Order: sequence, then structure tokens, then C-alpha cells
Amino acid sequence: MTAIRRTNQRLKGWSGWMLLVIALVGVVSVSTARDRGPQTQQERIESIAARLACPTCDGESVEVSRAPAAVAIRNEIARQVATGLSSDDQIIASIEQSYGGQVLLVPRADGLDALVWVLPVTAAVLALASLAVAFRRWRRQSDAYPEPTDADRELVAEALVRRRHGEGDGGDGT
Amino acid sequence: MAALGVGVVIVALLWILVQAEPGDSTSADSPLLGRPAPAVLSTTTDDQPFDLGRRKGSWVLLNFFNSTCVPCVREHPELVEFHARQVGSPDPVELYTVIWDDREASVEAWFEVNGGDWPRVRDPDGAVGVAFGVARVPESWIIDPNGFVRLRILGEVTADFLDERLLGLRTPS
Amino acid sequence: MIGPLGRAALLLGVLACGFGIVTVVAGIRAHDQRLLRTAARYAWMALAGAVAAFGLMQYALVTREFSLAYVQQVGSTSTPSLYNVTAIWSALEGSILLWVLVLALCTVAVAVRFRRRLGDELVGWALVVMFAVGLFFFGLSFGPANPFAAGAPGVTDGPGPNPLLQNHILVVFHPPILYLGYVGLTVPFAFAIAALITGRVGEGWLLETRRWAVAAWGFLTLGIILGGWWSYEVLGWSGVWAWDPVENASLLPWLTGTAYIHSVLVQERRGMLRVWNLSLLVATFSLTILGTFLTRSGVINSVHAFSEGSVGPWLLAFFAVIVVVSVGLIGWRGDRLRAPGVIDSPLSREGAFLANNLLFALFAFVVLLGTVFPLIVEAVQDRQIVVGEPFFDRLSVPLGLTMLFLMAVAPVLPWRKASTELLRQRLFWPAWCGVVAVAVPVAFGASGFASPLAFFLGGFAGGAALRQVVLATRRQRWRGLVGRANGGMIVHLGVIIIAVALAASNSYTRSQELILEQGQVARFGGHTFEFVGFEQTIDARSSSVKAGIRLDGGQVYEPSLHTFTRFGQNIGTPSVRTGLVKDIYLTLEPPVQVDGTTARIKVFIKPMILWMWIGAGMMAVGTVLALFPGRRRRPTDPVSAPLSEAVAARG
Repeated sequence: MTAIRRTNQRLKGWSGWMLLVIALVGVVSVSTARDRGPQTQQERIESIAARLACPTCDGESVEVSRAPAAVAIRNEIARQVATGLSSDDQIIASIEQSYGGQVLLVPRADGLDALVWVLPVTAAVLALASLAVAFRRWRRQSDAYPEPTDADRELVAEALVRRRHGEGDGGDGT
Repeated sequence: MAALGVGVVIVALLWILVQAEPGDSTSADSPLLGRPAPAVLSTTTDDQPFDLGRRKGSWVLLNFFNSTCVPCVREHPELVEFHARQVGSPDPVELYTVIWDDREASVEAWFEVNGGDWPRVRDPDGAVGVAFGVARVPESWIIDPNGFVRLRILGEVTADFLDERLLGLRTPS
Repeated sequence: MIGPLGRAALLLGVLACGFGIVTVVAGIRAHDQRLLRTAARYAWMALAGAVAAFGLMQYALVTREFSLAYVQQVGSTSTPSLYNVTAIWSALEGSILLWVLVLALCTVAVAVRFRRRLGDELVGWALVVMFAVGLFFFGLSFGPANPFAAGAPGVTDGPGPNPLLQNHILVVFHPPILYLGYVGLTVPFAFAIAALITGRVGEGWLLETRRWAVAAWGFLTLGIILGGWWSYEVLGWSGVWAWDPVENASLLPWLTGTAYIHSVLVQERRGMLRVWNLSLLVATFSLTILGTFLTRSGVINSVHAFSEGSVGPWLLAFFAVIVVVSVGLIGWRGDRLRAPGVIDSPLSREGAFLANNLLFALFAFVVLLGTVFPLIVEAVQDRQIVVGEPFFDRLSVPLGLTMLFLMAVAPVLPWRKASTELLRQRLFWPAWCGVVAVAVPVAFGASGFASPLAFFLGGFAGGAALRQVVLATRRQRWRGLVGRANGGMIVHLGVIIIAVALAASNSYTRSQELILEQGQVARFGGHTFEFVGFEQTIDARSSSVKAGIRLDGGQVYEPSLHTFTRFGQNIGTPSVRTGLVKDIYLTLEPPVQVDGTTARIKVFIKPMILWMWIGAGMMAVGTVLALFPGRRRRPTDPVSAPLSEAVAARG
């Protein structure tokens, strides 16, 4: 029993973890290098359609929607993809030319629209920063507590004994 | 402190939502206004070619129509009236109906019964609709003799409304 | 006859709630126990009103009583009875009736559950809040959203509910379960407000409502997942979640609610994060109201629709009142909410829960921002933009991955403080689970970065959860599966399975459009498809065309297209072959020539979809297990303390 435990402990040392990290990085690099993007024409059409909004729906993409306008736009995308002449961005730009900005599903990164990207990132940074500040403040506060004395320990032990043999559980706590 | 921040955000949201005013839904915006009309190619139901890029010399009213759409059905007599007024006019407006997401047979049958002897343009894949950015019907577009898009109208029209708009567009201001 | 009767029932509800509020407040003021105990009576009266109103509307639908405007809107002679019955919640007015019914049931449940403590101030104020919410919704149904209004005379038939709500049995379950979740969350909220008002902001109210919160959360989770299932089975685009405003409206309270049920553990154990818990609970409840507002007022379609609607302004006003009152109360009781202790170390369970709160709050912020941003832009610059899937996907992926990471590390963290030594020890084997979980798909050809990372983190988190379950069952046998912590680990396992399945299906779906000639066999993705023929059925409400597609030379699957005659809308119903590894999803694409020999179909090969439903089932099981009383241990006992005899006997 102890032999297994000893091997277990040794495995969990730094070497074991290094091996783990190497394996993980290796596997993920292999998969990242393999990334090929859309493979059939249909998939390319779908990836373009996923970036356009159906003009008569509540934010559904052209890929998803079955509204006539969405179907018509999908046909147009299919037509342009079949000619093979335009890039994804060019196809999207050509449809935007007819329908206006309301057909873009991904907000642009300029002007007022950029806010929708900027605000979440700002919020995340603020959250992390406030967490860091709070932890530092608490660390300082907790370090400032004196060590518990023997009298303190006795007090706690008595209270626990009383609780275990007493009535009720979890009162108001105020 | 955080409560104040939350309060400010909520108040801003409420203010925005309360500000909303119903909009004007007759003439509408489009990136195509003032630009050359898309060069759409198709055929009419009489098997004649339809080439918008080649139409020069007269004003064109392009109407997108679907026989099951209630407002389209409602505006149809007005279009018939409007078309009748072009006969004998010194500068007649050419009227075309584009079949939008509907079967040709249904639209032809509709026109049989309810009148209207202007060309109907086929659009089986919706390409003409997409070129103009049409999302809903009825929708009407006015294109000037030089091929530039001048007006986009969402929803039903009346013959008088069209006359009034055309008068405004024809008179250089 | 039905109309006035229905309105009378709603009026009964309004009056019952109103009198309930007055009675309880008077009782509390006068310390009159007897008066407080009569409050239960008003709860039952409100329930009677709600049941009567709901029953009458259902009766009107079943008997096709077209004198009512609502029946004219959603009823039809040609709708099958089942869908006619569920038509009650297919539009605004009827769904408010459902809300009112569930709310009245919850109020009665509170009155019954706490019947021996009705004299307690805390319970009293909680009932006041429940009556107040009930008053609002009853009032909404009696006034602006009146379902019993008389319709235009002389109408003998209607279009029936939206075709999408007429062709799948899920419409029977999804709304009621979702509402049980939404409305169920009113109860913990009511107790939170009561705690703030009475100043008893310790842990008492938390413990009372713990099970309510988890149960309501469970229903909400199930409702949301059923919505995803419906999207997959019915909508025909082969996806589970489209980030559309209605879906987001249900996700928002779920996010803050999940943060809440985790964060309360810290308050129970150490009395900390009180303001967080109250804020999360207030946010959860107010987001349910905001969500209802966003989806029911038509604001999301167009800001202009709002000012033309009748219900929108009321919901918005109610939302504003809730937020103002709640935030005000929290501010007022601020001094009492200060925690007795601090979080000593970020590497501790408290630290993990705090990080969890922030993460979920951030996620909720992103979803809310994306949903209302078009309104902001339209109000400020008067132009239309759309914020769709790509925005949400791009932001939710890193957030989701971080959550998976937290799920992996947090269960092994002890309270107060942890050392890296301890983490190294406990996380070793779970981390290797993660490596295996990513190595296997990559060995089979998986590509990309985010999905393999999701597989690793999923395996890691799954390993950590399994480790907890194994340790608990080793110590306590079957009791190791029961109780909040253990049930919670099983719920985590369900979440992880769903996350991994989502990552797999989002990244590795293959799709192709095939134009098949009759009798011709096409190949795609390692499968063969043969078009067998069309079959058309026409009845009073729809005409549908089915295309028979023989899959891999075996069974014939029939994706179909329905045209509902009254709506002129094409609804495509997909046909799916479900498998353990992947689903083969077939749709029939218009236009269809019924007498022709060509079928245009779309094939989607979607990996791991079945695992999403398996994960959902696991979440449901875990939630039920978590509701069972577990090892009764006082919050102040160390985790490894033996049970005292008395406590064990109480079980």
C-alpha cells in the first residue's frame, strides 16, 4: 500500500507536473497547426452567412433564419462564392452596399459601435484590478491580526462544545 | 459607492428607453439613394429581357410584390390607377413589378383577376431583391431617367402619394 | 360570460394581494400575531383567483370561444387540441396568466411552509413582497394586458398560435418549467428584502430559502436547456443557441442566479460576501423582470415599438421600482452587512467563490450589453445595428474557459488558505485527466486552439469533480452522492459534459448542401444519402411535403417543409439520426417541386450533440441530489469533523 502511495507522491512532484505541461503544450500545438478553416463551399457560405444579420428578424443571422430576405441573401452569397472571385469580406461589403449597416452582425470597431467591444474588456480589467486591490488589503488586514492566545483557544473550544450539545442549528447569526 | 454606479447605469438605460419616439415609416433610408441603380438583369413574365442598367430616358417605378402579402394586395388598385394616369402623360413613368418570394403562377393569376398590364419581372433567387436591399414587401423604388435611385418607399403607396413625390423629384430644387 | 367572469377572478387576485399587504403590514406594526396569521387566507384567495382566471381562459380556448380577443388571436378551429391548450401561453396576455398562476402557487407554498412562523416579522415581510409582486402581475393582467377583453364581433375562427409553436410537444413543457424557475426566484428575493427591512441580515433568511433557490435555479436551468433542445429539434438551423434576445433574457437571471447559489456558501460558512449575495439575488430577480420587458414590449425589434405597446412601460417602471428599492435598502443596511472576517488569501475557497462571482457578473454584463446595445445606438445616433452571435461567441469563449478552470481548481481548495504544495497534490490526477481528454480528440484529428483547450479544461474539471465524488463515497458510501456539496459535484459534471459537447459541435460541425436526384446516391462525410421520393399531406391548417432520404442504405429519414395556410410561412422540420458520437441532421430546402424528382437537402454532421442532453440529465439528477439533506454538519465545524451522534441521528 505504502509503495503505491510513495510512487504516487513522487509522480506528483515537479517532474510529474513538467511532463504534464509539456504533453499539454505538445497536443495543443499539434491541433492548432492543423486548423484549416471552412472546407466545403457550403461551409464557406455558412461562415459568411453567420456574419450577416437577417434584415427582418431580431438579430438572427442569415445562416439561421428562414425568412425570405435571409434566403435571398444566402442565395446571393452562394452565387458569389461559386464564382470564386470575391473574398469573404468583399462579399459582405457588397451586401452591405444594398442593405446598409443594419445587416452586419458583428459591430464594427469604430465610432460608437466600438463601445460594445471596449466596455467588456474594460470591465474585465477593472474586475481583476479590484480583486487584486481587495486581496492586498485583506492580506494586510489579516496580517495585522495578533496571534490567537490560549485564552482565545479555550473560548472557541467551549463554544463548540456548547453548540454540539445545544439546541438548534444556524440561527440568525447576528 | 457601487450602488451609486449601478443607479447611474439604470437611470441612463431608462432614459434611453423612454426617449424613444415612433419613426416616420414612409420614405426610408438606403445606402443606394443618390447612387446608380444596381444593374439587375432578369426576364419578364412575357419572356422579354429586363435590364435596369439599360433603362434610360424615363422615370421608373419598381414595385416589389407578393400575392399573399396583405398591404401589397391593398395597394394594388392604387398602382392600377397610377398606371392608368401615365397613359397620355407627356413623360410617362414606367412601372415594373418584381415578383418577391412568390410563385410566378400565383402572381400572374392575381394580375389576371385584379388587373394591371405592366411587366412583371421574375426573380426566382431573390437576386433583384437583394441588390436593392429589400427585406419586406411592399416596397417601391423610384429611379430617375439617368438611372439614379431617387426614392425608397417602405409599405403601401397611393396613386396621389406617388404623383406628389414624383412632382417633387422632377422639379429641380 | 367568460370575459366578465375572468376579469372578476383577476380582480379577486388584485384585491387579495392588496389586502394581504395591508393586513401583514398592519400586523407587523401592531405586533398583532393573529392578524399576521390571517395573511395565509389572502394567499389562498389570490390562488383561487389565479386558478379561476387560468381555468376560464383554458376553457375559452378549448370551446373556441371567439368572442374573446385573445382567443381570436391564438385560437383556431383547425389546431389540434393539445396545441390549442398550450396556445394559452403562446402570446403575451396568456403567458402573464401563467406567471400569475405560478406566483400565486409560490405564495401559498410560502404561507404553508412557514405557517408556524407566520408571526415572525421576517416571514411577514417576505409575504408582503410576494403579495406586492402578485399585485403588480395581477394588476397587469387585469388592466393593460387583459386577456379577457372582448374581441371584434362576428369572428368565428382564428389563425391559431404561431406555427413554430404547433409542431412539437416541447411547447407543453418549456414555458411552464421556465416560469417555475423565474417565479420561483421571487421567494428567495422576497426573503432577502424582508431580511433587509427587518435588519436580520445574518444567515437566517439564507438558510430558510436555500432549497427554494436551488430548486428554482434547477427549473430555470432545465427550462433554458429545453429551449436549446427546441431550437435544435424544431428550428432547423441545427444549432442549439443563437444568442437571440429572448434566449439572452432567460440566460441573464440564470448567470446571476448561479453565482448566487455558489456565493451563499461563503456567507453560510464565514458570514462574508453579504452585499454580494444580496446584490446577486436582487439582480437575478430584477433581470427576470427586465428580461420579460425586453421580450414582451417589442423593444428589441424596434425602439419605436415600445412607445406603442401597453405593457412595456409598466414592466419598465416595475423594474425601476425594484432596483431603486433594493439598492436603497442595501445602502440603508450597509453597516450591518459588513462582514466579521476577511478573505485571507486568494488561494482559498472563499477567494475562488469571489472570483466566480466576478466572472459570472462579467458574463451577465456582456450578455446584457450585447442585448441592449442596439437600443442605445438607435437612441443616440438613430441608426440600426445588430449585435449577433459572433459578438457573444467571441466574448463568451474566454469567459467559459475561465469558468472551466475555476471549476477544476475550486473543489480542491480548502477554506481560509491553501498552499501550492496542496494544489500540486490534489490537482495532479485531474490535470492528467485533462491531458487525456485533449489527446484523444487530437489523435483522431481534432484541430484548432479554443476547442482543444476546452477539452483539456473540461477533463481537468471533470477529474476534480470526480475526485470529490470518489472521496465522498469512499467516506460515506451512498451518502456521498447526496447533499449539497456532492450533488453539486454531479451538477458540475453535467455542466462540463455540456461545455465539452458544445465546444465539439461548434467547432467540428461539417455541412453540405446536396441536390439529389431520385434514386441517386450521394456521399458526404463518410455517409451515403439516397433520395427516395416526396410525400405530400394536406390538411386544414397546413400542407407539408416530406422528402424520404435513405441514410447509409438503411433507415429512411424524412425532413419536411410545412406551409401553414393562414400564416403563409414555411416551417422546415429537420430529421435527425442521433448517435453517441455524432448526429446526422437533415433539412429539406425550398423551393420544392412535389411532382419533381429532385430534392435539395442540407446535411449537417454534428459531433457530440447527444452528450448535451446527457449532461443536462446529469445536471437535473445532481440538482435533485443536492436538494436532499446531506451530512448534517454545522457550518462552523471543520470539514473533516466526525458527525456527532445527535446530528447523525437527525440525518
